[in-house]
Order: sequence, then structure tokens, then C-alpha cells
Amino acid sequence: MNVPRILLLPLSIAASAALLAGCTATTEPAAEPVDGGTLVYATGDAEPGCLDPHVGGNYPQGLISTQYLESLVSKNSDGDIIPWLATDWTESEDGLTWDFTLRDDVNFTDGTPFDAEAVKANIEHLKDPDTASSTGYLAVGKIDGIEAVAADQVRFTLSAPDSALLESFSQPWVSIQSPTALERDQATNCESPVGTGPFIVTDWVKQQSVTLERNEDYNSAPADAEHTGAARLDAIEWRFIPDAATRYAALQSGDVDVIDNAQPNNISSAADVATIEELDAPRPGAANRIELNSGKAPFDDIRVREAFIRSVDVNPGIDSLFFGTAERSYSVLSSVEGAGISTPDVFATDAEAAKTLLDEAGWDTIDSDGYRTKDGERLSLTFPISTNQSIPAEQSLFEQIQASAKDVGFEVILQPTDLSSWYGALFTNEYNLVSAPYTKVGADVLRILYHSDSIIPAPSGYYANLAQLSDPALDEILTTASETSDAAERQELYAEAQSIIVDGFYVLPLYDQQNHYLYSTSVEGFRALPPVAAPTFYDAWLSN
Amino acid sequence: MTEILAGRLSQPAGRAPGIRGRGGWLRNTGVIIALAVLALILTAALAPQLITTADPDAVAPAEAFQSPSAAHFFGTDESGRDVYTRVVFGAGNSLLIGIAATAVGLGLALILGLLGGLGSRLGDFVSTRIVEVMFALPGLLLALVFIAIAGPGVVTSTVAVGLSTAPGYARIIRSHLRSVRSASYVEAATVLGHSRARIVWQHILPGALSPIFVLGTLGVGQAIVWASSLGFLGLGVAPPAAEWGAMLSSGRTYIDVAWWLTVFPGLAIVATAASFTVLGRALNARTRQEARG
Amino acid sequence: MTVSTDAPAAASVSTPATRLRSLGWIARRVGGGVFVLWAVATVIFFALRLIPGDPVDAVLGGPGSQASAEAVAQIRADYGLDQPLIVQYFLAMGKLAVADFGTSYALKVAVAPYVLTQLWSTLVLTLASLVVAWFGALALTLATSGRGRVARALGSGLELLAAAVPHFWLASLLIILLSNTLHWLPPISVPGPLGLVLPVLTLALPLTGFLGQVMRESLANAYEQPFVLSARARGESEWGVRLRHVLRHAALPGISLSGWAFGSLLSGAVVVETIFARPGLGRTLLSAVTIRDIPVVTAVALLSALTFIIVTIATDVVDRIVDPRVTEVAAR
Repeated sequence: MNVPRILLLPLSIAASAALLAGCTATTEPAAEPVDGGTLVYATGDAEPGCLDPHVGGNYPQGLISTQYLESLVSKNSDGDIIPWLATDWTESEDGLTWDFTLRDDVNFTDGTPFDAEAVKANIEHLKDPDTASSTGYLAVGKIDGIEAVAADQVRFTLSAPDSALLESFSQPWVSIQSPTALERDQATNCESPVGTGPFIVTDWVKQQSVTLERNEDYNSAPADAEHTGAARLDAIEWRFIPDAATRYAALQSGDVDVIDNAQPNNISSAADVATIEELDAPRPGAANRIELNSGKAPFDDIRVREAFIRSVDVNPGIDSLFFGTAERSYSVLSSVEGAGISTPDVFATDAEAAKTLLDEAGWDTIDSDGYRTKDGERLSLTFPISTNQSIPAEQSLFEQIQASAKDVGFEVILQPTDLSSWYGALFTNEYNLVSAPYTKVGADVLRILYHSDSIIPAPSGYYANLAQLSDPALDEILTTASETSDAAERQELYAEAQSIIVDGFYVLPLYDQQNHYLYSTSVEGFRALPPVAAPTFYDAWLSN
Repeated sequence: MTEILAGRLSQPAGRAPGIRGRGGWLRNTGVIIALAVLALILTAALAPQLITTADPDAVAPAEAFQSPSAAHFFGTDESGRDVYTRVVFGAGNSLLIGIAATAVGLGLALILGLLGGLGSRLGDFVSTRIVEVMFALPGLLLALVFIAIAGPGVVTSTVAVGLSTAPGYARIIRSHLRSVRSASYVEAATVLGHSRARIVWQHILPGALSPIFVLGTLGVGQAIVWASSLGFLGLGVAPPAAEWGAMLSSGRTYIDVAWWLTVFPGLAIVATAASFTVLGRALNARTRQEARG
Repeated sequence: MTVSTDAPAAASVSTPATRLRSLGWIARRVGGGVFVLWAVATVIFFALRLIPGDPVDAVLGGPGSQASAEAVAQIRADYGLDQPLIVQYFLAMGKLAVADFGTSYALKVAVAPYVLTQLWSTLVLTLASLVVAWFGALALTLATSGRGRVARALGSGLELLAAAVPHFWLASLLIILLSNTLHWLPPISVPGPLGLVLPVLTLALPLTGFLGQVMRESLANAYEQPFVLSARARGESEWGVRLRHVLRHAALPGISLSGWAFGSLLSGAVVVETIFARPGLGRTLLSAVTIRDIPVVTAVALLSALTFIIVTIATDVVDRIVDPRVTEVAAR
């Protein structure tokens, strides 16, 4: 970035915000695709410890494994489930038996054929304690039995109906790997997982990059791909560049072609750069939101929760900190989830109403620092922040929330910590406010985040229901929804569930989980694969 | 990093006769500038209201990212706060971290140094080994592990920086004590039959403690720079407290759109650290001249 | 001139009888080094157990895992985490004694080869920075000391500023100047010497400031020495005096400080490797501490301690060999 542009800043923010709106959707009237070349992708997500997304199962693994592993089904940009490695599927009347028809012409890149036995081996791999799977393990939790009926027919028997099964299968954490490769020891499989995807993992230099080379025999593109056959790029160099400023500088200098986790100010600057384009692909599941811990005082009182939500106005902060790249969300769910319901009125700011509510709740005295007290105790809220998950703009937004809550008499104590300490604070219930991203395909994420079962910690101490929302009526609705296969009926149940959650003031939604890619104009045909918005380079090619 | 600047403290004064004459102009001007800078910073730390009337934490999202102007000398930050006011108020926190960290480091070093410089053979052996082990662990590793154990925050960062500077100080203090012990006036006192306790109390300690002031002065600036690195790694003071290192590292995010967010706190750090160094070296030179007579 | 007052050890170097003593000295240093390694391993072992959080989380790919109870139990057994702490300690020490660093919790690979490749990358970075800083400081002091006031003030001023700049800010400034504006250098570490320039500059500049300050002082001292005056009296050129006589004095603290400098460079490497996306020990350490990958942290601590010990012994040896006070006595 050169100096003159810096001086023009106030103008360029407004200008770029306007430009962005148009820029995200445009696709170039592409010239004839050419084959060849190596694309350099720079990720700001953590370097995975294991390239097999069955092991553990986090977002960085999902990002990279999308290049070499494939799932049974996918989603198109309208949110419909579409065939991938499975061509067809049927659910039994009682919802307890699912039959999948598989493609019979696909091989893994080690030569092993893809068939029903392979699918069976993968689900068993996910369930094997030795694998230590988390995300994938949860996704296939209701699968009790797997039967290879024929080479291209597999049958799943479930312990309870699972309306989210197809969405679960579309996730990269439940992707299908070569059963031959899975038999190797875990360390080896982590270094070089084998799938059916358009690229093959050939090298991994730790802390530096993973090299992915084209799979020449590729024939299993998802139904919504642009072309068939092998990928156009010779190879992808997948670099790990943790520092956001460096990542953007590397894109500017042409040392890399695509970056993820682009920061708002960089996206804004890039709008003025003719050679850089933006792709905005919000992640599915829950929106980024602040959870109010109703499991302990003072947020066990709905009036205090409502007072907090009334006291903070996040909109001006989102506008300035995110340079117009993020839109305020009034829904618990991501905007890509069709079941999401937006309720701006519930989150309206009203400092006076907040003060009245606090008076009613007994927080009616004010101490020398301007904070409210009750029985000599200050109205104090602990807010641990994961510096690994919250980007700088978001951390600044939390500081602004701290300032506006103070005007009403809340003391918000921000505690920025590393990931492990942050989880430590959650596990020991030492928080009143927390912002934790959660990515999962489909509205069933509500069950994971707000069913009272999710307050019970997993063996590692983790629990997903950080609002500690415990409401039998909500539990009932969420369970029913997860077992209802009728789409319209399910939609209605999720609407009902969301109104319980927002009307109880358990959550303050902020914006979608931001997932912005910036890329050089020489990259054509690049898109995000809809299920979890991971990038896919199968159709991509380099124009020079 | 102080140890290399103060390295010669350990040597009994012998050489370098010409400090006074040569470079006097430079040294004096340098010292005057340094003192002026430090006086300003000290004022900012002790009575920020004298220099600015604004509130360092006053958020105004609508006024974010304004470049320097008459209304905001140093511009505004990502939350519309006045950068000038925050730099002024940041002096207190930054100085406190620098001074407290140096005090922690020196305190620890003094214990180890006294044990090694004056204690028995065993004491010397033990303290030398402890210092060696601390030296062998890179300072940042020590700091990272300590912060992971105690959790981030001002106190933790301060102690972490102090811990990682301690071995350097300890080594200097020990060898200084040893050279004082063998100095002629101490030997004379021994010959005169004074008790060991009296020798240590009256002759060795005063001579040994004089460099601590110099070491401390040299160390404060470096401790501030050090602590800012922890801020970059996300392990600094808790927001919204204004602190130069934290301001510098959060401003770095916006370096392509708002240069003033890094330049002013950065200059504050550099000016403070450099001034402490100048002052420390001047003190060091004076001590050595006095030691020579 | 009297040289022996502040160089008691140096007086004994060249006599043959002391060769045995030198061997003894080296043996003591090596023995001390082994002790330090053991102590570092012990301190790190117990310190890491004090960190809140379960090491199992690192194996599960992070603390947010919802793996089954069977999976957690399996991991505890696999990594010996179900044993009493003291048993774990002796098992770990036994393994370390035979250079078995175990398996990384997060990466599932053998720690030793992994950390060694990272060490190599960091060694290249830090040694290059050390050399650059050393020559930079030498050039700066030689060019500006003994000259006019302005040159001296400029030299000292530059050193002061360089020594006071935080690494991460310097890195950003260098990227903006040399990469974004002038387009001379890549902002990330790329293969080949070009990718090394910015990281090395970032690490070397502050160190140049430090070494420069020390060298300037010893240079100033050297100018006052009788042999310089006599050389001048003999009519040697100014640069001749500088290079032949004064240089040695300036170089000496540079050498003896290299051990210290190396340690501080390792700390700086954490920041520089993160910003320039360069593999290395510093970044490995940061991520391993963050996710509590205990075997990796232990290995990094031991390796950097070992490197530090070797560098210190080496500089002490070099120091003994090239101590100019001894050579000058011999020459006159």
C-alpha cells in the first residue's frame, strides 16, 4: 500500500464499501480455460496437525482436505443437497434406515476402488476411539449399523431418525478416504491421506506448505462443477502465513495468488486495486454471536440479560471496524441457512429501558466508578476472548461493547487469551459473556448449541451450549426437528426454537462467520464449495 | 539486552581515560535531550491531565480512523479514540511495566548475585548453575511458558519480562561483587581485622549496589520494548488500557490504512528506550570516573 | 602498558604447560553443559504440567474436541498420561537420556527429526543475522568514530534508535518500504537468498545497534592506547591505524557477546518467523506452547539450550585464541 492512498482514507472507505457490494458477485466473462501452472494459496488458519480430517476435525482441516478428499453428497449454492460420490439415496418410512447408491466408476488415487466396503470402513474409522475423531464422530453419532449390500449399495441403520444426516455427510469431516490407506498407521495417514479428489497430497513441509498435485484420473466432480475430468491446475502450493498483514502484502506482491481470512481493512483497500478481487463466502451454521451465560449470576436473571442487550449498540462499530465488509446479523443462524429468522426488533438498543430493567432486577445502586451494584456486589461480567479466533476488528468491537455497557453500569472485563486458556475459562464456568464460532451444515446446529444435553461436558471438558440454556420446551422442539424429515414442518420447528432463544435474551448476534477470500485477477474459476464454504480449485485456472 | 551495555561494569575501572574530554559535547547534548524526553514522559505518567484533557477510553465509532488534525494531533484509532490522549495515558502503563519488570529482574538477580558473589563456595556453585540454566532458556520461551501458566495480564507480562532479564543482571552483579571483594580497600579492611559482617555491610555492599541503579536505568527501556513484543503475540495488557506496546501491535493491523496508529506509540517506545539508554550510559561513565577517583 | 590487570586468564594461554589445563577447562564446560541440559529438561517438564489444561486436548487437535470417552482413555494410555507424575518424569528423563524425544501430541510425528529441520531453518536465520549485525556494527563504528562530532552523533544516534525498535514494528516498516513500495523483495519467506533478506534485516538491525554501542566504546578506548599514538607518530594513515590496530579492539566484545546475542536472536525469531511465515524453532515453539504440545516444547527448549551452550563454549574458545591483549604483548 503506498502512502498517498493512506491519506485519502476517509474517502476510500466509503467508496470501497460501495464498490464491494458489486464486486463480490461478479464473475468475469471468462476466456477459454488453459491447463497448467501452480497456484499458491496462503491460508491464515492454523496449520492442521493432521491432514486427515477424521482425526479431530477442525475448520483448517476442512479447508485443505476439500482439495483431495470428497464426500458422499454436496450442496449447491441454493442450499439443496446434490449427488457426489453417492448418486442416489432413500430414507425408510420410519427414518431409521437409509440406502445409498454409490458411483461404481471411481477409484482412490492409490488405485483402491471406491465402493460400499470403503464407505463402511470410513464410518468405522470415525467411530474408532483410536482415530480420536470429534466433529465427524458427532456427525455420524446416530449411525448404528453399516451394511455393504452390494458393491454400489450401502445401508445405514440409525438409532433414531436423523433429518440432518445428508447435511452431515456433505461435511469434509465425514469425507471418504481409501480403506487401504486408512489401514496404515495414523502418523502416515495424517501426512498423506488418500482420497478421490482432484488433487493428491505429495509433500508437507511443516510450518511452510503442503504441495498438492493434480490427480490425472479424476472423474468424480460434484454435480455443480463447471467441467469434468482432471483439474486444470498442475499443482497447488498451500502455504501457511499466520500474519494477516503479511498475507495481504504477499498477495499484492504476487508471491501468492489467493489468500483466506482477509482482514476488513485489506478487503477495503483491495477494492481499489484492479488486480485483486474478492470472494465473500459466509460459513454455514451459527452466526458470530455473543452468548450470555444464563447458568450463573447475574445472567440467570432474564431482566439483566435483556438490559445488557438493550445497552450495547454494535452497529456503528461494525460499520467502521469492518469497513462495510460485514453486515449486522439479527439471527442466531448464518445467513446461508434457509431456516434462519432475522428479528431486529428484539435486539433494539435502548439505554433507558436497560437502566429501568436493572433497577427492577435490584441492581439499583451505583458505586464510585459508575458501575451498578447489588448487595455490595458490582455488576461485573467476565468476557474471555480467544485471540486465535477473534480477529482484531472483532476484538476492537468487544472493546466498544465494553465502553457502551459501562454507560449503563455494566463492568465488562475483557480477557484476551490463547485458545487453550480460553477453553479453560469456559470449562470452569468462569465467564459471563463469550463469542465462540460454530460451523456445521444445517439448522441442526441449534440442537448442538442450545439443547440442554449440550451443557453436559464431553470427556475433554468441552460443551457447546455456552449460553447454558436449559429449557425442556426448547429441548423437545429441537429433538423433534432433528427427527422430522418433512422440510416445511422442520422449518416451522426451527422458527419456534429460534424465537425461544432470542426472546430469552440468551444471544447477541453480530454478523455471519466472516470468510473472505482475496485473489489475483489471474485466477479464474475459483469458488467456495457450498457445504462449509471451503475453497475449491477443481475448476480454477491461471490466465497468465 | 542490558547486560551488553553494562558489561564493563564488572571490570574494575582501568582503561578509557578520555570519556570526559572527547565527545563531551555530544554526551551532554544527548543527556540533556534524554532528560527532557524522560521528564515529559514522567509527567505524562504521573499527571496525564496536565497534558491532555480528553478521556483515553472514550469510544466514538463514527470518528474512527481520522488522520492527524488540529482536533486530534495524532489522529483517531479504530474505535474513534484519540491517539494522542492514549499515547499520553499509555506512558503510565508502559513505564510501570518497564520499571516493575526491571525491578523484578534486578531483585531476583540481586539474590542470585549476592549468593554467588558473597556466599560460600556452595552458594556460588548453586547460583552460577541457576543462572546458567536461566540463560540457556531463551527469554521468550521462559516468558511464553510463564504466561501460559499464570494467564496473560499486566502483572504476568511484567514478571515474565523480569524473569527473562534476571540471569543477565545476576551475572553482572556477581562478578562485580567478586571484583569489589578483592579490591584494595576491602583487603585493607580485612588486614585491619574488621569482622566479615562489617566488611560486607560497610565496604562491599555499597560498592556493589552502585551499579544496580545504572543497570536499572539501562534496563527499563529494553523492558518496555520486550513487553511490546509480548503484546504482539497477544499476551499483553487487558483492553481497553492504553499501553504503547498494545497500541503498536493493534495498530499494525491497520498499517495500510492508518499509519498514525503505529507511528506515534512506536516513536514513544523508541524515544523512551533510547533516552533510558543514554541516561544509563552517562550514569555508568560517571560512576566509573568516580571510581577512579 | 599494563595489560594483566583486567585479563587474568589471558596471561596463561600460550605456555605449553597450560594445555592440559585448557583440556580440563573444556571438560568442565562440557560437564556443566550436560548439567544445564538436565536442569532445563526438569524445569520444563514440571513447568508444563503446571499449565492449566489437559495434554490430551493437544492430541485431539485442540481443546474443543468432543471425542468419546473411549478415545480419551485410549490417548491417555498411548501417551503414558495415565501414569503418576513422578513415573512420567523418570520415564521421560530416561528417554531423553538416549535422545528419544518421543512423538508430538499434535502432529503425531517423531519429535526429533521434526524439530531438527526447524532448528536448521532458525540457525540459518540467526547466524546470518549475527554476521550481518556484526559487520554492520563494525562498519558503522569504524566509519563514524574518531571523526567529527556530527559523524559521531549520527553514528551513536542511529545505534540508539536501532536498538530501541521492537522487531514486529520494524518488520512491518521494512515490508512497507522494501516490498510494497519499492517492490525489491518478497514480503514472505521464499526459497533462496532473496527470501532471507527481510527476516535477516529485521533481526539484525536492533542487534547492530547494540553491538555498535559496545564496539564504539571499545574503539574509543583503543584510540587512547599508546600503540595507536605511536602508530600515528610513525605517520601511518588514518585508515591504516583503524584497520590494523583499532579494529581488533572493536571486534573483541563482538565475539564475546555472540553467545548472548545468539540467545536474544532466538527470542526475536519467534516474532520474525511468525511475520514472514518462515518455518523455524520460534514459530514451532509458539504454536506448541499455545496448544500444549509438551514433547515439542521440551525438545525446543533442550535444543536451544544445547545450541546456546555450544555457541558459548565456542565463543569462549575463540575469545581465548584471539584475545588481542595477549597478541599485542607478544608483538611488541
